[in-house]
Amino acid sequence: MILAVLFSNSDGNILIERFHGVPAEERLHWRSFLAKLGADNLKGAKNEELLVASHKSVSIVYTMIGDVCLYIVGKDEYDELALAEVIFAVTSAVKDVCGKPPTERLFLDKYGRICLCLDEIVWKGLLENTEKDRVRRLIRLKPPVEP
Amino acid sequence: MPRSLAGDLTDPEMAQPYMKKDDDDDEEIEYSPFFGIEKGAVLQEARAFHDPQLDARRCSQVITKLLYLLNQGETFTKVEATEVFFAVTKLFQSKDAGLRRLVYLMIKELSPSSDEVIIVTSSLMKDMNSKTDMYRANAIRVLCRIIDGTLLTQIERYLKQAIVDKNPVVASAALVSGIHLLQANPEIVKRWSKEVQEAVQSRAALVQFHGLCLLHQIRQNDRLAVSKMVSGLTKGSVRSPLAQCLLIRYTSQVIRESSMNTQNGDRPFFDYLESCLRHKSEMVILEAARKIAEMDVTSRELAPAITVLQLFLTSSKPVLRFAAVRTLNKVAMTRPLAVTNCNVDLESLVSDQNRSIATLAITTLLKTGNESSVDRLMKQITNFMSDIADEFKIVVVEAIRALCLKFPLKYRSMMNFLSNSLREEGSFEYKKAIVDSIVTLISEIPDAKETGLLYLCEFIEDCEFTYLSSQILHLLGNEGPRTSDPSRYIRYIYNRVILENANVRASAVSTLAKFGALVDTLKPRIFVLLRRCLFDTDDEVRDRATLYLQTLDGEVALGNTEKDVNEFLFGSFDVPLANLEASLRTYEPSEEPFDISFVSREVKPQPLQEKKGPGKKQLAGAPSPATVSAVDAYQKMLSSIPEFSGFGRLFKSSESVELTEAETEYSVNVVKHIYKGHIVLQYNCTNTIPEQLLENVIVYVDATDAEEFSEVCSKHLRSLPYDSPGQIFVAFEKPENVPATGKFSNVLKFIVKEVDTSTGEVDEDGVEDEYHIEDLEIVSADYMLRVAVSNFRNAWENMDPESERVDEYGLGVRESLAEAVSAVISILGMQPCEGTEVVPKNARSHTCLLSGVFIGDVKVLVRLSFGLSGPKEVAMKLAVRSDDPEVSDKIHEIVASG
Repeated sequence: MILAVLFSNSDGNILIERFHGVPAEERLHWRSFLAKLGADNLKGAKNEELLVASHKSVSIVYTMIGDVCLYIVGKDEYDELALAEVIFAVTSAVKDVCGKPPTERLFLDKYGRICLCLDEIVWKGLLENTEKDRVRRLIRLKPPVEP
Repeated sequence: MPRSLAGDLTDPEMAQPYMKKDDDDDEEIEYSPFFGIEKGAVLQEARAFHDPQLDARRCSQVITKLLYLLNQGETFTKVEATEVFFAVTKLFQSKDAGLRRLVYLMIKELSPSSDEVIIVTSSLMKDMNSKTDMYRANAIRVLCRIIDGTLLTQIERYLKQAIVDKNPVVASAALVSGIHLLQANPEIVKRWSKEVQEAVQSRAALVQFHGLCLLHQIRQNDRLAVSKMVSGLTKGSVRSPLAQCLLIRYTSQVIRESSMNTQNGDRPFFDYLESCLRHKSEMVILEAARKIAEMDVTSRELAPAITVLQLFLTSSKPVLRFAAVRTLNKVAMTRPLAVTNCNVDLESLVSDQNRSIATLAITTLLKTGNESSVDRLMKQITNFMSDIADEFKIVVVEAIRALCLKFPLKYRSMMNFLSNSLREEGSFEYKKAIVDSIVTLISEIPDAKETGLLYLCEFIEDCEFTYLSSQILHLLGNEGPRTSDPSRYIRYIYNRVILENANVRASAVSTLAKFGALVDTLKPRIFVLLRRCLFDTDDEVRDRATLYLQTLDGEVALGNTEKDVNEFLFGSFDVPLANLEASLRTYEPSEEPFDISFVSREVKPQPLQEKKGPGKKQLAGAPSPATVSAVDAYQKMLSSIPEFSGFGRLFKSSESVELTEAETEYSVNVVKHIYKGHIVLQYNCTNTIPEQLLENVIVYVDATDAEEFSEVCSKHLRSLPYDSPGQIFVAFEKPENVPATGKFSNVLKFIVKEVDTSTGEVDEDGVEDEYHIEDLEIVSADYMLRVAVSNFRNAWENMDPESERVDEYGLGVRESLAEAVSAVISILGMQPCEGTEVVPKNARSHTCLLSGVFIGDVKVLVRLSFGLSGPKEVAMKLAVRSDDPEVSDKIHEIVASG
């Protein structure tokens, strides 16, 4: 299960969050835990460099894309390797929508599209689509081009 | 984590404009597109959804704003949500593709209630059968999110079609929906098995992945079906790496389960796992290596997996390095030798940018390193420690402790490292981990004792944590006087009296007193110091100083000998605090003072698992023996019965033992109360038949197989109505302080009367009847109280070595070492100390420490050393010390006859 997908700005303010199977009372804990993780490790990290951590039985893969931090938390079959696939799908889709690694402003400008991309990639805790070209077409309700 | 600035307008300080530094104009202010957004205004804007001429662009913007609000944690009231939902459904009229996609998302986000769903289902069902593929896919996802079981049966036909749809997006949408629906409607989804199987053969990678996931979930409880599925797919029809990873997991599960069933060690499909080590996808290789490493394989079979993991250690991708080092770390816990070849690569990871990877590398090295590499490792770790967070440091400290216990000769460098770490800044948890490690090393490695104590002394000179200072002072008091030069510690201890808070000062006074009691040469000087404490500002400190001065001077009568003084100072407080608290709560002020000797010494064992059957629930109204206060409740209840009041102090009450099967007509359990010269059996009876009233209920106890017991009295039950428990008591006399054993057979005898359940009237005529219940045994363990000691080693050394009795036993073939350990513990009925009841996995030998008090208030300590000789053949060495050598012999008798 993908427990959380969370975008924040570099100050740790949330831009988009999606939790799956995480009780409401535990979400605050996750928000602050992830913000601290980012504050400790993402400063000075290269664009889209993947960072990995594990906390109890869950894995966390996170990165910086432009000015925006992205965290993905998973457990069981979504270990660090599967999460790396998920984060790659999300970052590619975001870059595709924004045309480049986004500033916070650009990210907010494309907010609706990014929400749609996320809806195509992760659905209630499961990875559904992975390729950016396909996601780009799907959010416009266009069928994917078969290879 | 605060939410985004733009959205949170409730806090005026948060409503800052979004600032962006520009190279050309430093002062340019750029606003967030959502700056100033407010729920009320957006809800107003949502009225545009009702316009007859829909402006798709504007509607999309409003939906985006609504999504933003929801993502910022804004909540809609029921009325607001309903209004928005109804408005959004109007947008189905628009043909604009972008807007339609947002509408689907918005409906999912709003998750409408069941009475609202009906508004949108017809539109969605229309879309589900639309010619536009993407309408179908999205409608399936939305419907599956919002519908219940009844509606699902209506659309089941379409979903089955969708699973085998030519368009992979539609097929995936139906399969992923199936995975979610399986939780709530398993019986419906299980009917799709055939279609799902077809989907697994799809050429589209993601359809295959989702199909395999659903197929496994449908069949997961059918071992044979999973095995068949694996057997079919491992032949090579899976293309997607994600699906391949799933297949590897399922395969390893099949291998694990089949090796549990067949004893010959055959591993079907192992070749498949090995072949995955040569797959082109890194994810698949790692998954296969990880699964092989988790299995119980030979070193030769493990080697290829370790080799690929080693290659990944030098990968440029951090995720692969992390995955590899995490797996190797796990392997190193059980098979350190298998990982030694990777040590060079692991050492280079110590400087990895990603601290999680570096910490895993260090802790793996600490497990795989050999004695000669310890010094070099410690040097590397010292450089590394300064730039990692405390939580990682704790992991490292714990690994160092384990390494030090493995190579005790190297204690100097590791102890030195720990003491240096103590000097650095750090949180309480980190400091506690270090102190705990040093304390463990002191107790396990005799040579390390004096150095360790001095390091701890240095630490308390500048320690900000009261808990740790007190803990260390307590340890100093126990260990310091027995060192070669006890006087060197006095300065550190007395400094605490001058410099610290009241808690630490009080601990320091107790520590000084212990030095005074054990070291005669220091006694006069300790007296001088303790006298100074008489002027302390804190009551507790002054009281302790006064008490100790008088005790050591022999003015307070604690007994006549020096041994009694030492017992007072060093003896552990053997009353469990929870029991003392419960007794104090039930104590009613009277002429009679509170007597601590009446407080139960027995530690109630922690229940391992709640595994009670439905009929085994505690009887309502009967005292619950599982709670601490129950001991007092029993004592009180029994002493209030005149027949038993002359039996003296209650030594022990057992857990209740069921004498009937669950869900029988009459339920009976028994509690055994043990006195010095008597036992009382308390039968808790419940009548579970509403149409019956029982009268004159007695338990007829036959004690022919319990020769040393003779019945003295019994208390019957006058009546036992339906579901209202009652107690019957039977008392026996037995030789004083002798752990007599025996078997008692029981028959419940009563007069049964019919009850009219509608009126509650009872028939006057009754019929005599009897009911056989199970036999009951009094065993040796019933005479043993589970009493813990705080420091087993100290307690052991303080007991007379003359009382020690040692012997060896063969326990025969046992299921496992852990099973043998728990069997011996339950035969003796003693309290395991220091967590030694837990046997590490794969251990070939184990030492277990037990303590207890035997009837007659005789303290008993037991050291059990277990070893595996041959396949599952367990041998045991039993050493007992006790206050009475006869009891030591008795413990051996108990084990020999058990």
